[in-house]
Amino acid sequence: MTTRAAVWLLAGGLWGAASALAQDIPLARNSIRVELPPNAPVSVISMDSDQSRVTARGAGIQLDLDMSLTLRNSSPSRIRGITLRVISQEAVPGGKGSVTKPSLNVGQGETFTVPIQLQLMRPTQLAAGPLVQVDLDGVLFQDLSFYGSDKLNSRRYLTACEMEAERDREYFKRVLTAAGKEGLKKEMLESLARQSELPALDVRVRPGGGPAVASAALPPEHETQFAFLQFPDSPVEPLQGWARIALNEARAPQIEVRNKSSKPVRYVEFGWVVSDPAGRQYMAGSVPSSGSPLDVLLPGSRATVRQDSALKFSANGQPVNIQKMTGFINQVEFSDGKVWVPNRQSLENPLLRKVLAPSAEEQRLTTIYRRKGLDALVAELSKF
Amino acid sequence: MKHPDEAALALHAGGDLAFFARWRMERHLTRCERCREEVTAFCDLREMLADLSEPPDLPWRQMAAEMRANIRLGLAAGECVRAGDRPLREHPLFTGARAAVAMAGMAALLVTGMMLERPAPSLSAEGLVVRHTANGIEESDGSQAFRLMNRGAQNVTYSVGGRSVSARYVDSDDGVTINRVYAE
Repeated sequence: MTTRAAVWLLAGGLWGAASALAQDIPLARNSIRVELPPNAPVSVISMDSDQSRVTARGAGIQLDLDMSLTLRNSSPSRIRGITLRVISQEAVPGGKGSVTKPSLNVGQGETFTVPIQLQLMRPTQLAAGPLVQVDLDGVLFQDLSFYGSDKLNSRRYLTACEMEAERDREYFKRVLTAAGKEGLKKEMLESLARQSELPALDVRVRPGGGPAVASAALPPEHETQFAFLQFPDSPVEPLQGWARIALNEARAPQIEVRNKSSKPVRYVEFGWVVSDPAGRQYMAGSVPSSGSPLDVLLPGSRATVRQDSALKFSANGQPVNIQKMTGFINQVEFSDGKVWVPNRQSLENPLLRKVLAPSAEEQRLTTIYRRKGLDALVAELSKF
Repeated sequence: MKHPDEAALALHAGGDLAFFARWRMERHLTRCERCREEVTAFCDLREMLADLSEPPDLPWRQMAAEMRANIRLGLAAGECVRAGDRPLREHPLFTGARAAVAMAGMAALLVTGMMLERPAPSLSAEGLVVRHTANGIEESDGSQAFRLMNRGAQNVTYSVGGRSVSARYVDSDDGVTINRVYAE
């Protein structure tokens, strides 16, 4: 072979390799495994993942799973919510997520769709076999009974969502009865305005309560105390709490609580509001009593809720230094599985109205009003 | 016998066919009286049109002659500047060293192009973190990431709970979807 021919062959090979690397290729159907228990109250009707692709991205690859899963309620009870676990076999070791559909109203034999848009980044090529596994974590029914493995505490989460949904539907029904359609419209407009004005805060969560790296150059940290909003009907009372603060990072928040109800409590969750030096306030997140239930908190007894993680705050690309922190009880689960959530009156607190997003159900109802109008909203409320 | 179409004959008449097509056409014309006549007709028509369309006040032919002359002059000047009587290409186009440089340049260009076209997203270097991104929420660790996306969704509410982040939105069928990723 002449030198010239060899050069052209090499150039062609390089070009071909580059083209192959830059290509999008469809994701093989066997890359996704959907597993439901044989006695599950839902069954898979169809799975559409035609738009899923694998793409070369620099030195790594990106997998884009765009899936729509249609499920049928095969149980005799109405479904109010469902959580699917989405587990990556290949990306971040133990990469785990969930997709929840609360506020459902699905009767026997009816179908509903769960969208799953998953993206995995990997440094190297994919291995053979399923990359993503989707399975059922739990289903909540109208009577608040539950089915599922509950590995992600879906029972509590879906029950809390349903309690909030019932609370808000009842509230809007009362408004409709008392003030008519005009009153309901006014409520919707106020809620939409509030949603559009919520201050956005970027929060990065890192497991572990220490700094990301050990260095003498790190900013000094100090303990900052929580102030608390007290809700009269809350079954749990916050007593004191603090977190270690270093500029815009809060580490290892912990809050001491007392059970003032007559029933044992197994889970408490705090809402957490932070203020910056300029007095701007943001909803930072929630502090659950770790990932697992509390040791049962008996009536009258005290316990400390701890979260072993560090949260870093920023807004519009700028760090939000923490000046002040305010906490409030956001959710309580009793040992019998019942869940308490704050009532509408408690949420009327001026601070919470400024920073707290509405419930999933209020967001859904206001969206129906915005998209379809008042009559569609009234019709939706009458379904429950 | 298969005859060329009229467009090809017209292009040939104007001398606008590429080398290989022109060669094939000339071979065909030597054997085909009918196509030869067609080409002759096209040539006559071109001459007639040229005469009709030439503006009397613009000396096109003179200008073309001057341009040709200038080009010849430029080439001649180039020959004078070039040292000695070296031909335009003294060595083969690709020698070993030139080929290596050309290939290295091509490879660098391809790799750079690919990196610019498909940049690897910047991922955190601070170990395992969960956070929300422009269109979703992610758990990332070095060059690996696990993301649940909410592309196309409006009014997305992001929240943080313990070691997880979630994104909530109302989808197109007016149902609420809540995505969550866990830092575990």
